Amino acid sequence: MDDENGSHLSVVIDLSPAQWHSSAQPPPDNPYPLPLSIFLAQLLTFLNAHIASKHENTLAVFGAFPGKSVMLYSSTDPPPQTQVIDANSYPPFKLVDSTIVTRVMEEFDEQAEITDEAPNSLVSALAKALCYVNRVTLPTTTTSSKQAEGRDPTILPDPRILVLSVSPDLSTSYIPIMNAIFSAQKLKVTIDVCQVYGPESVFLQQAAHLTGGSYIFLERRDALLQYLIMSFLSPPSIRKILSVPTQDKIDFRAACFCHKNIVDIGFVCSVCLSIFCQPVPVCSTCRTKFPMKTLQRLNAARPMLPASTASPSRAASSAPQARPSTTPATPKTNGSSAAPPGGLPHSGTIGNGTARTASANESGV
Amino acid sequence: MPPRRDNDKFIQEDSDSDISIDDGVDVVKNVKGKGKATDAQRKRDKGKSKTKDTQAYTWEASYTRSWESVQEDEAGSLQSSVDDWMARGRRRRLLAPSTAIRRTIIRHLVLLLDLSSSMMDRDMRPTRFDLMLQYAREFIAEWFDQNPLGQIGVVGMRAGIGERIGEMSGNPQEVLKSIADRHKLEPTGEPSLQNSIEMARSSMSHLPTHSSREIVIIFGSLTTCDPGNIHETLDSCVRAKIRISVVALAAEMKICRDLCEKTGGQFGVALNEGHFRDLLFELVPPPAQQALTRPAGGAATGTRAANPSADLMMMGFPTRLPDTSPPSLCVCHSEIKSEGFLCPRCLAKVCDVPTDCDICGLMIVSSPHLARSYHHLFPVKAYEAVLSEDQIPPDAPKTCHACARPFLTAPTATHGGDGLSPLGRYRCPNCQNDFCSECDIFVHDVVHCCPGCGK
Repeated sequence: MDDENGSHLSVVIDLSPAQWHSSAQPPPDNPYPLPLSIFLAQLLTFLNAHIASKHENTLAVFGAFPGKSVMLYSSTDPPPQTQVIDANSYPPFKLVDSTIVTRVMEEFDEQAEITDEAPNSLVSALAKALCYVNRVTLPTTTTSSKQAEGRDPTILPDPRILVLSVSPDLSTSYIPIMNAIFSAQKLKVTIDVCQVYGPESVFLQQAAHLTGGSYIFLERRDALLQYLIMSFLSPPSIRKILSVPTQDKIDFRAACFCHKNIVDIGFVCSVCLSIFCQPVPVCSTCRTKFPMKTLQRLNAARPMLPASTASPSRAASSAPQARPSTTPATPKTNGSSAAPPGGLPHSGTIGNGTARTASANESGV
Repeated sequence: MPPRRDNDKFIQEDSDSDISIDDGVDVVKNVKGKGKATDAQRKRDKGKSKTKDTQAYTWEASYTRSWESVQEDEAGSLQSSVDDWMARGRRRRLLAPSTAIRRTIIRHLVLLLDLSSSMMDRDMRPTRFDLMLQYAREFIAEWFDQNPLGQIGVVGMRAGIGERIGEMSGNPQEVLKSIADRHKLEPTGEPSLQNSIEMARSSMSHLPTHSSREIVIIFGSLTTCDPGNIHETLDSCVRAKIRISVVALAAEMKICRDLCEKTGGQFGVALNEGHFRDLLFELVPPPAQQALTRPAGGAATGTRAANPSADLMMMGFPTRLPDTSPPSLCVCHSEIKSEGFLCPRCLAKVCDVPTDCDICGLMIVSSPHLARSYHHLFPVKAYEAVLSEDQIPPDAPKTCHACARPFLTAPTATHGGDGLSPLGRYRCPNCQNDFCSECDIFVHDVVHCCPGCGK
């Protein structure tokens, strides 16, 4: 069946103007500048390659703008062909290219009128992509016209979503992004992530890990197209043979809500699952009072805890003991990730990432 | 032969599909309102029993003149009518009132399977036994999906004894594996409720108070052969706050109903294959916590002054070992493996999370597991149905905001009512975007995140 049918690809493009502006800055601060125009040109080539690799392949493109997400193109409802057919271009490619470019330009023009900076809507674009995947993979019940067309939308094996992100993690989007990840798991959608610019995204790392996709932090931004084609063009069923880079290093530790410390052992409220680094009498999130007995018991158990709550240093010191030879064995894709652009040490990145996670929880609550 | 009767005390809480954290006021209201609701429920029950007298079986009532509700559309097809019914059913489920209640997030459940010879009965196709195994597998998969921090153990009732089939585990694969081999579970002999409940109870006796302890019994026979007085077992279950639910496949037994009513569980007799599945799957969503959780008025009830179900839990967040790390033995299976998770307290290596560390007993979870339960706490607001064309602004998009499916242009006659939009548009109260009915269901059931506002 896999051979007979095409695969579906949804691409979510992060189009935050501020980030793209800084991405295009000249070399001294920014070793590999990548302006949006070149990015789009390379991306369109990749999209064309996806359409060209099999006639049945379908495509949907979503753009995440500040405060707004837009569907830029979808192959189930193609826009009417208005352009004059150019003798030098293949019409389906031309259609995709021109539609996406015009829509992006339209949206940027609209954005120019809005002055206040809204947070980027990557999550809502991701949710839209999931709804769209749900639409194309499930048989449509409400519109019987679809069946009349003779196309059976039920058989689209391994749909996948490619997220091209340039923004840092947004703390408020932690819960929605996790929800999106779990629904992708449920739909058996693979989420691939390519962090084109900006710091490593802890949330998207988890997205790729939990859905079995690959996460790539783009080190040489001028080689974007090569990364895209080598890692993301093949459908998941073929990737087993191709051995596409996956990541080894995902941080599953959490940060406490009270001091934003990263904890190895935390105290969790059974009602709202808030995490604390020490026993507290009242949950700060849901104001549940905890029984005195528990506090006494946990406080009694604490003497051995100070060592573990001062975690970043301890974790750093204990991890090498536990796995002495991992450091040389792990480089794979993430040689880059250990030394992110800011030059922070490894534990520092984790700290930043998860601290954001926790603040997300708190603000969400 | 009533199809099923809920325990009065829980009927309100269990009927709704969503969840939110309660504050004191709501709970007090809830408790006050309960008396009335219970009366109403009783009246309804009475009404039911009257209708039952005139009819041979209750289930026949739902099939009266069913042909009248199906209408052909212009093209003579029944498809639109069927679709309409399906949409109505799903929408009704979404609109179920969501009162503020608290649910147990961390659940422990023992699945008690009847493996007595009566399970070979063929009144359910292919046999009760095969059907039970099939549904049990689906149940376990769905249960872990909704209760990521939960653990399931499996106990079989066979030849007069309780038989431990699967140890308490938080890994769905492990639990499924324990009931995968049907030849090992071949039914024989008489079942013993007491023996198997005792076994289940002892396997949960060490659990802390904030986690729920539940037993789900799938019971196919009409007898139980017990060594002692089963009512003593029942009393000890009540004391241990174990909630027992029974899905009976044959007929109602007094002891089964007593087990459920005294422990606050649900009891149901399956009428047919589909009903069996429904009864079982009603037990999937986290149960509302027993009414003792009253943070505001808790002091009034002297016996349970300290709120026993809210508690601080000590949890460990493990370090994940990559696939390329040197292989070592895991503490849970004693197998040589590269990948695994290190317990932060005793540095033992376990294969999978969430679990309790086999060495030091610390509960080990990863942060995504905690995050997975957050959607119960922060649900998406229900979308409002757009009822008339006046509500649609002239420049509104013609397609669903999420999946770009085109909306109906004119209202259809068959749609409408039951909170169903005749235009097939459902509007988010936050961001005022319109969604189609498919996306409405999908967003609320699966994504838990509105594509318009991203919350």
